[in-house]
Amino acid sequence: MSAGREPKSRKVLVRVGRSWALLALLLMLLVFSLAGKEFLSLANYSNILLASVTLFFLAAGETFVVVSGGIDLSIGFVMGLVCVTSAIVMRDLNAAGASQLISVSAGALVGLVLSLIPGAMNGLLITRFRVPPFIATLGMWGIANGLAWLLSDGLPIAFLPSAVHKIGIAYLGYYSPKTGFSLAPPRLTTREDILALLKIIPVPVLIVAVVLVVLGFILARTRFGRHTYAIGGKMDAAVRAGIDVKRHLLKIYILSSFCAGCAGVMLVFLSNTGNLTQFTSNYELLSIAAVVIGGASLTGGRGSIWGTVIGVLLIGTLNNGLMMMGLQIFYRFIAIGIILIGAVLIDRSFPELLYED
Amino acid sequence: MTNPKFKSVFIRVLRRWVFIFLGLEVLAFSLLGTNFLSLDTLQNILVSSTTVLLLAVGETFVIITGGIDLSVGFMVGFTGVVCAKIMVTLQAAGTPQATAIAAGIAAALLVGLLPGFINGFLVAHLRVPPFIATFGMYGIAYGCAEIICNNVPIHDLPSAVGPIGHGFLFFWIPGKLFRTFVEPSGLSSIDYQRLVSLIPNLSLLTVVFVLIFGFILARTRFGRHTYAIGGNIDAAERAGIDVKRHLVKVYMISSFFASLAGVCYVLRYITGRAPAGSAQVLDAVVAVVIGGASLYGGTGSVGGTLVGAMVLTTLVLGLANLALPTYYAYIAVGCILIIAVLIDQFSPELVHKED
Repeated sequence: MSAGREPKSRKVLVRVGRSWALLALLLMLLVFSLAGKEFLSLANYSNILLASVTLFFLAAGETFVVVSGGIDLSIGFVMGLVCVTSAIVMRDLNAAGASQLISVSAGALVGLVLSLIPGAMNGLLITRFRVPPFIATLGMWGIANGLAWLLSDGLPIAFLPSAVHKIGIAYLGYYSPKTGFSLAPPRLTTREDILALLKIIPVPVLIVAVVLVVLGFILARTRFGRHTYAIGGKMDAAVRAGIDVKRHLLKIYILSSFCAGCAGVMLVFLSNTGNLTQFTSNYELLSIAAVVIGGASLTGGRGSIWGTVIGVLLIGTLNNGLMMMGLQIFYRFIAIGIILIGAVLIDRSFPELLYED
Repeated sequence: MTNPKFKSVFIRVLRRWVFIFLGLEVLAFSLLGTNFLSLDTLQNILVSSTTVLLLAVGETFVIITGGIDLSVGFMVGFTGVVCAKIMVTLQAAGTPQATAIAAGIAAALLVGLLPGFINGFLVAHLRVPPFIATFGMYGIAYGCAEIICNNVPIHDLPSAVGPIGHGFLFFWIPGKLFRTFVEPSGLSSIDYQRLVSLIPNLSLLTVVFVLIFGFILARTRFGRHTYAIGGNIDAAERAGIDVKRHLVKVYMISSFFASLAGVCYVLRYITGRAPAGSAQVLDAVVAVVIGGASLYGGTGSVGGTLVGAMVLTTLVLGLANLALPTYYAYIAVGCILIIAVLIDQFSPELVHKED
């Protein structure tokens, strides 16, 4: 088994094995580009990214929790609660005569601060009262969902300040053959000019990209990240190594909940309404799926933000591609189920390939 | 501590806190609500609890082995759709109603075993974590269900389905009439008001299966092996239990109960819908945990699960009786769940030992 005997072919094999999710993603892009109509276009790619924004946030937070060996089931409904709350604040402040800037930023801020509370409660229950993460976050799942219903009466919150929509559909830059490159959307009059307008990078995607880079850096390069891996790998060893495990886990659950809060605030901008999370949307399970497809193990100690990004993109591409092929959306559930089980089977079948250094 | 007798009483009370809670719940709703404490409401609670109860009993077996089955919720929709589709197709082909209904039910129960087998095989033989294997199956079952029913609830079921699903075992007019299964027709309005319907068919079906599997878990070798695997899987293996085979069976039991819930759904709502039981998956897990099971495996019982399911259903119906919106139930269920586990954590020696 020494690395010296068959170094080159083995090295390639190891690399292929480790990045199978990336290869699957590329393969999928290729297949859909050939099979689907209009899949291969800048607009469609930016659609895939836009549609994945909330899942990126949720899955990034979940990655920290899963790496530490826990699970957070509450994120989907925390997202809904935050979305509803910040939309209500924005609407009511604006209706009360506050300026758009103040009402929108106050709404976003209230949402983000609110999202810390469920995380802190999860973390306290798990660390101080030793409630299993599955149960603590499942309880919070119900509480957050109920509160969101209570606040919104089960109806979408509409009539938000007009700036919300403008931010949600904004792009970083625009390029028109006529006016050249500009940061603000150019005023175009003819149909040909409008069709030829190139929109470059949606602002929500840009924001999520920055957050992902920061979180990826924290998990991979800082002491906080190393401690997270240590706790997930072996809790006892982490305790003996002097890590304040309880405090650290508390922070991780707050982080996960905060990411869900970011997703909720972003959802207000993207959809221009405050929406409840539906039971059938299953965000928490989809984000766990993305994390696992990205190479994390539910027993903890493994996983990365980069892997999670691939996992989310895989799910997003699958959704979009199947839709563009004109297939019913239900095939995606089957496909995600099979990919998820396949991911773990690959994991189980070639452990020495994937994790031996 | 000073008084051993007091302590043993205290332990006994604390161990049964779920019963006390259920009692308090019923008491509170009876005092505050309108006509809550009545035969009709009681039977309503029983019928409404069908889905959660069936899912939770199957889930009890899985949780005792230390696993979890997330696929059961969408298994309800899947088997329900299969059941309804076959009934409709056979009826359209001219088969008599009785045959069509029986064939639909039998097919659903048979098809329902397959996902359980696959789950069990993945978990036991290929060592996929239960959470992932059953979550994958949940996507697959939901997708298949939607494809079978084409995203439209299946309707036009045989006309006998409704009377079966809404029927009662006994119909009784005090001092005048006593029938089994067939609802008397052509009654005067006074007689109709005095008509007492006893024991809903669906509850009868549910209770029979719950009792059978409660017995299996508590009294047979199969049940003892289930606890042994959840307690310590290595020790169970060394003791000569065929753990893999046993786990496959346990996951098949869970999906069998899910298909039973699917059939009950079709009988009760006279339709097959793909997302039928989706909101009940986690309710089922909650019922099992409130009933005293630990997600680490090794503890739990069908009786506890039964009470757990009743606590949940009574809460939902009681809040409806008080004309309070259902979402209070979500909040309450979340709190109850956390409290249940806290009681467990703080007094393990009180709740679990002394057996």
